[in-house]
This record gives sequence, C-alpha cells and structure tokens, in this order.
Amino acid sequence: MASVDLIDVVKFYGSLEILHGIDLSVADGEFVVLVGPSGCGKSTLLRMIAGLETISDGDIRIGSTVVNDLQPKERDIAMVFQNYALYPHMKVRDNMAFSLKLSKRSRDEIEATIQRAADILDLGHLLDRYPRELSGGQRQRVAMGRAIVRDPAVFLFDEPLSNLDAKLRVAMRGEIKALHQRLKATTIYVTHDQIEAMTMADRIVVMRDGYVEQVGSPLDLYDTPANVFVAGFIGSPAMNLIHGTVTGQGVTTSGGTIWPLPPGAKVEQGQEVIIGLRPEHLAVTDQGLDATVTLVEPTGSETHIVFDIGGESVTAALRERIPAAPGSRLNLSPVLNNMHLFDKASGKRIAS
Amino acid sequence: MTARIRTPRKPPHQTRTLVLDTISHAGLTLVALLFLFPFFWMVSNAVRGNNEVLAVPPRFLPTEYQWGNFAEAWLRLPFGKFFLNSFIVAGSVTVITVIVSSLAAYAFARLKFPGRESILVAYLGTLMIPQVMLVIPLFLIVSRLGLINTYQGMILPMAFSSFGAFLLRQFFLSIPKELEEAALIDGASRLRILVSIIIPLSLPAIGLLSLFTFIGQWNNFLWPLIVVNGMDHATLPLGLTMFQTQQGTSWNYIMAGATLSMIPGIFLAIILQQLIYKGITVGSGFGGR
Amino acid sequence: MADIVSTQAKATPRPRRRSKISAYETRTAFLFLLPSLLGFLAFMLIPIIASFGLSFTNWQLLAPPQFVGFSNYIRLLTTDPAFFTVLGNTLFFTVEYLVLNIVISLTLAVWISSLKRGQRWFRVIFFIPTFTPTIAVSIVWLLIFTPGGVMDYVFQTLALHIPNLLLDGKLAMQAVIIVTLWASVGYNMVLFNAALDLVPQSYLEAAKIDGASAWDRFWKIRLPLISPTVFFGTVMTAITSLQVFDQIYVITRGGPGSSTATLGFAIYTNGFQNYQMGFASSLAWVMFVMIMALTGFQFWLQRKWVHYDS
Repeated sequence: MASVDLIDVVKFYGSLEILHGIDLSVADGEFVVLVGPSGCGKSTLLRMIAGLETISDGDIRIGSTVVNDLQPKERDIAMVFQNYALYPHMKVRDNMAFSLKLSKRSRDEIEATIQRAADILDLGHLLDRYPRELSGGQRQRVAMGRAIVRDPAVFLFDEPLSNLDAKLRVAMRGEIKALHQRLKATTIYVTHDQIEAMTMADRIVVMRDGYVEQVGSPLDLYDTPANVFVAGFIGSPAMNLIHGTVTGQGVTTSGGTIWPLPPGAKVEQGQEVIIGLRPEHLAVTDQGLDATVTLVEPTGSETHIVFDIGGESVTAALRERIPAAPGSRLNLSPVLNNMHLFDKASGKRIAS
Repeated sequence: MTARIRTPRKPPHQTRTLVLDTISHAGLTLVALLFLFPFFWMVSNAVRGNNEVLAVPPRFLPTEYQWGNFAEAWLRLPFGKFFLNSFIVAGSVTVITVIVSSLAAYAFARLKFPGRESILVAYLGTLMIPQVMLVIPLFLIVSRLGLINTYQGMILPMAFSSFGAFLLRQFFLSIPKELEEAALIDGASRLRILVSIIIPLSLPAIGLLSLFTFIGQWNNFLWPLIVVNGMDHATLPLGLTMFQTQQGTSWNYIMAGATLSMIPGIFLAIILQQLIYKGITVGSGFGGR
Repeated sequence: MADIVSTQAKATPRPRRRSKISAYETRTAFLFLLPSLLGFLAFMLIPIIASFGLSFTNWQLLAPPQFVGFSNYIRLLTTDPAFFTVLGNTLFFTVEYLVLNIVISLTLAVWISSLKRGQRWFRVIFFIPTFTPTIAVSIVWLLIFTPGGVMDYVFQTLALHIPNLLLDGKLAMQAVIIVTLWASVGYNMVLFNAALDLVPQSYLEAAKIDGASAWDRFWKIRLPLISPTVFFGTVMTAITSLQVFDQIYVITRGGPGSSTATLGFAIYTNGFQNYQMGFASSLAWVMFVMIMALTGFQFWLQRKWVHYDS
C-alpha cells in the first residue's frame, strides 16, 4: 500500500492545456473519488497516474517514488476499466493469471493467488468460462479479480459501473466498498455519478474543465460546498439555486420574491448573490413564501414537489405526505441555518 | 353452422415474381455452365489420346478415357519438384510476410513515433509500383548477391510488400485499446501484447493475408521466370511453360499438367469461399484484379 | 472542515517536458519496423531509385553501364519503331479490358445479389479462376483458341465469319482480353456482390414505397451507394491491367507481328531477351508514369460519380 501525490500536474493535448496544475495528496489506504462532468479531465488524470498518458509537467509520486518516467508495469498499480477490458480469447482463470505469469511466479503460487481472489469475489465457479459467457456484473468482478491478484500499491478504477444497469450498480457499489474495507488498499476511483462518489468515498475531488473545484469528505462537500458548481453538482435532487440581489435584510429575486438571509451573512447591500437551498431544507409552514405547486413526484419515502415561487422553480423534498395537487398554494419556508450563499460574480461561498 | 375451408391463393403478382425468379435463376445457371467450359475442356482433353484433341469436328468427350495421362505427365517432367518448389516459395513468403507485416502493422497502429505518417505514405505509394518495373533492378541486386537460381533469391524480394502492413494495421486499429492498456498494466511488453493478445484476436485478417499471399506467390510467374535457370528451382507456372515447350503438341499431357497445377487453387477457392467473401466485406483492403 | 483547494489558471504558458516514455516508445516502434523497413529499402526503395538511374544508361550487362542522358527516352519517342505500337496496344487493352471487367463483374454481382438461393455456389464458380495460375489458364485457352480448335468450330457453327483470333493481327488482342476477363472477373464480382449485400434494406424498401421501379432502384440507389467500392475496384483493376504479362507470354508472345505486345511484355523482351537493361528501364518508367496519370485521372473523375456517406 502506498500514498499517491500529485504535484502541480499539467497535461497538454497539442497546444491545448487540459489539466491546469493539479495538486492532490491521497493517503495510504484512502478511497478517493474523482468526480465531475464529462470532459473535466478526471479520466485523463487517472490515466496519467496509471502511465497510459504522458505527463506534460508536474510530478506524480506513488509512495516515495516519482513515477513520471516509469512504464505502467513498473508503477505497482492495477486498473479496472469501464469496459472491463477482459481478454476475450482467454478463460477467466487465464485472464487473472496473465500478469502473474508475466512476473514469472510459480504455478502453485499463481493457483493459490487466483483462488484467493476468486474466493473474495465469489468467482470460483466461473474460472473456466470465457468473458463472453458472463453477465455484466460477473465481468466486472473478474476485472476486479485481475486487479486484486496483482496486489498493487494503488487501485485505479475508471468509471467501472457506468455500463451496468441501475440495480446492479447499487449492488456493485456495496461490493467495491466492502472490498476496500477488507483490503484497506489505496484506491482512486473516477466516476461522473455523484451518488457513487458520496456513498463510496473517504474524500471526494470535484473537478471541472481541468481544475479541482473542491476536495473534502462527502459530508463536508454536501454541507459546505465551496462554490456554486460544487453545490449544484453534489446532492440529488440538486440544490435549488436562486439568483437575487441583497436588499435590506433579505434577497430580492427578479420575480419580486424576498428571501430571508441567514443570520451573520457577510454580504453588502446591492450585492448579487445566489441562494442555495437543498430540497430537504424547505418546510411547509403557516407563514412563509407564497408557493404554487407545479409538479408532485412521490418516491415513497419522500415527496418531491416542484413549486413556483415568484416565477422561480424550487424543488422541496418533504417527509410528510401532503395532499397537494398542481395549482394548489402553500407556504414554504427555508431552514435558515442550512441556507447557503454564493457570490454571483465569483461563484464562491460567502461565509457566515 | 358450416365451417368454410379456406385455401390460400397466391396473388397474381407473386406468381409473376416466382416465374421471373426461375427464369433469372435458369439464365444465370446457363451462364455459369458456359463459364465452366474451359475447366471441362481442360480435363476432357487431358484424359484422351492426343489424336482426339484437335479433331474436326471437336469431340466433347473422349472415346476412351486415359486416366493414366496424369501419371504420365507427372513423370515426363519433375512435377513433384515443381510442386515442392512452389510450396517452399509460397509458404516461405507467406510466413515471412505475416511476421514482418504484423510487427510493422502494430507499430503503425499503436505506437507513436516521429515520421509515422510519412513512412505510411511512402508504403502506400509503393503499392502502385508495377512488378515489371522492379524486376530489372531486382535481378541485378539479386545477381550481385549471388542469389540467382536460389530459394533465397526467389523468396526474399517477394516477402516485403507493404500490402500486409496496411491490411493488418486496419484490423489492429479496430481492436479496443483498453485490452492493450490492461495488458500494459499487467506487465506485458509490446511484443508480448502483439503475440498473446493482438494476433489471437486477428486470426481472420491474418488468415486472409496468408491465403492471398500464398495464392499470389503460387501463381506468380514473372519473377521465377527471371531468377530461375533450369528445372531444379522451377515453380509450377514456370514448370508448366517448360512442359509446354518440351511437349510441343502433346496437348493431352499439357492439359493434364495444367489440371494438376490448378488443383490447389480450385480446392482452396471452393473451401474458403465463404471466408473470402466475409473477409472482403470486412477487410475491403483486397482491391481488384 | 472541508479543504478548499481551487487552483487558478497560470498567466504564463508553461514549458513542456519531453517524456522518457515517448523515447522508449519510439525505440520500440523502430525495432518493430526494422524488418519491414529493411525489406522495403532493399527490395523496393533501392530498386526504384536504381531503375530510375538505369533508365539513363545503356547497360547491357556485359560492360559496365555508361551514362547516356536522355537518349533512351528520346529513342522511345522518336526512332524506336515499336514504342508507339506498344503504347497503343497497352492503352487499347487497358481501356477495353477495364470497361468490360467492370461491366461484367457488376452485372454478375447484381444478378447474383438478386437471387434468393444458391448465391454461394454462383459466387464460387466465377471466383475459382482467380485462384488458379494465369499461366495454366492461358495454356487452356491457347488450346481453345488454337487454329482448328473449339473457338473456330463455334464461329463456324454460328456462321460468324471471324478468322482465327490468334492469327489475325487485329483480333489477337481480343483473345488476350477474353482470357484475362475469364481469369479475373470473379474477383471484382465478389467484391461488388459483398458491397451490394451491405446496402441497408431500409433504403430499398423506402424507395419501393416511393414508387421506384427495380431499374430506378438500381441506378439511383444501389449503384450510388456502392460507388466507393466500384471506384476502388476500378483503380486496382486499371493498375494491374497495365502490367498484363503472363497471358501474352503463353498465348501470343506479342504477336502476330507486334499486335499484342504491351508495355509489360516489351519491358521483359528488351530487358531479358535483348539484355538492354537501360532501355527497358526507361520503358518501365513510362509505364509508371502512365499508371500515375491514369490513377490521378480516376481520382479526379471520382468527384463526378462516387458518393461517400459522410
């Protein structure tokens, strides 16, 4: 096991700079998730750690070794690909044995290692099958088995669950997390799905357009997003973002609604701000903002209601079952302690 | 209530289509039979006495069948040696071509290096060079190297066509890159990747390349004509012309020799026709004649 | 607490480092390419250059070559009695053969494609000759064309007053064309057949609904959609047809007279029967220029009749 350090890592494609000096430290045994929209550079960064892409500038260290000029096989890493990348002409057993044979282990050692990995991943009965005979979930487990047998310092995952259906994804998420708890292996995991990030990570790295937007534990990112992008990216349903100007003790939107300000907000009169409210931080009260129901989505455990407040669309996630048909009017109040404020110009969080 | 028994009736236009189809089929069958005539004529004349070959009016079938003509033709000239030489040359060229082309194709398809595009263009250009232009200087080079009338002289100049590199490069490009990336991480060298992963997954393309290279060399006449003296190293087409010169007007034996030399080609064409058809569909790098 | 790490764009552009990994990959690529490059150099590049150089000499193998400037080329264009005949023969053969080959192989391809059953067998039958030695094919057709043979008998029976093809200077080339067609149409036929079968049925069905007849469907949909393949076949066939040799060697030896002497055959006779290597090389370069010109012409023509998807 080892730590991974990225120091001012830069990547150029031709003359286009796509990663702009990334700094990141992953501790030994940590599960770090790189998350962000397509094109943010997360996969490229992962592949640079793996050695599949060259490093234009900066350093990448695995443990105490600078790996910039090392071949992938010399970096002591293992990778699980989105498309599994299982060798189609080899049986599962041979897929897993491939790297071991290359490092010239003895046949007994290879057998034992494969058996161990197969036990952990429940692959024992599949060892003599070909990849084309396996389901998506089984193939994914074989890909993980191939990584495990290498006993690497760092595990790299490149969107491994994207090709699976929703239910399978949930199941595999748990399996990967359980595997990590068991092996205590340093893991760097790339995904575009923020739910995967939230449920699996020790720390999340939110990326956009080649920059790191914020690094922190899932709840830190959830509770204290550093900017509007992170706020809107993390959490589902997404955080409500309401634009307005600071007037007096509140924020006035273009539709004329006046939202209350949280106590101690460090804002100036006339400042253009964005209010961030998670759907679960809205409550139906006697007094509050005038809200008209436009859409009701019951999920069973909660009811998501989309309201129109002064021309703006606001989603609330309510625990109580409220009989509300589209068109009915209710009073909605934000939970002020959980209200976020962002400066519109810079997008950054305003402290309170 | 009485149940009506319905009989299906063919609508008029369906009957018309059936008739047209049958006519079309019959027509093409006739054309095909006419097309096969030269094969028939060759074998028919091979198994008759020579006095019946150019009979007027022509006889389509012999009065007595001389199946022994094949053995006789075989003995009159060292046909066994011709077959062997053809096999050695065609086989060697095929093996060398596959190995050299696989290596080059992999470099072109997957490795980054300066000048890659330029070299590729140069290779492409040479595909348009007529063989007959090259044979003069090749003859001089080969004779300088002392390789006239040797197997090396017959094989080496034919084994480095850039066609194989193009065909295989096209195919290699279609193999998912992730497979090779996984192998790199697993610790495989590039050569290992080529041998253990790329080639096993490229067997159809390699099969096609081998087939067309083999047949091309088997049927090649110009180069053996130039580089071979005498019968010891003669390949089948060359041997056949020697046979023709030697036999003069023994047409039946000449036809027997021709039949023998066509057998491998006919055999391969029939057996592998589906593979070739699929390959041309997929590969489309095999051009026309 | 959350660690907030947000990096700003650097104002100055960065210098780039050359990676050791790229150097390693270049070295690997070089090793992989080495056998191919060596062969390419020895048996392709050097001969091409040598051929060019030879065309400016008068080498006849016995004495060392002597530089003679453009005299070979001048001789071709002025004093050589056979050159323009050979050139004309070659062009005549190529044009007639190319047109016939494409028309026949396309017709066969469409015909086979329209059948419901037995396509495989028809494909095989027409394809077999392409896998047999052209020499053997030529020998068999020699027997068919030989004076007093089957061909003459067929002409007689059909009351066609056609003299024996091999003995007539004006018709001998037709014999060569017939043989070459028989030996080679199968190739393009399979190619075009495959291309036709790949045309998505949905296009044809939409056309049927729109009211297009079978004739319309062929000319307006199927042919345009396979035109890239037809173009490819045409280019390759033209290139190989300019080099025709085996059939002429066996059947006509360039005769009667020099009515079937083509460039390929002339290069051979000048180089390896008269041992005039320099002159033969200049002929070869003329052939090469013709190939380039013809190919260039076809590529230019491509814009008029070839439809590409994108």
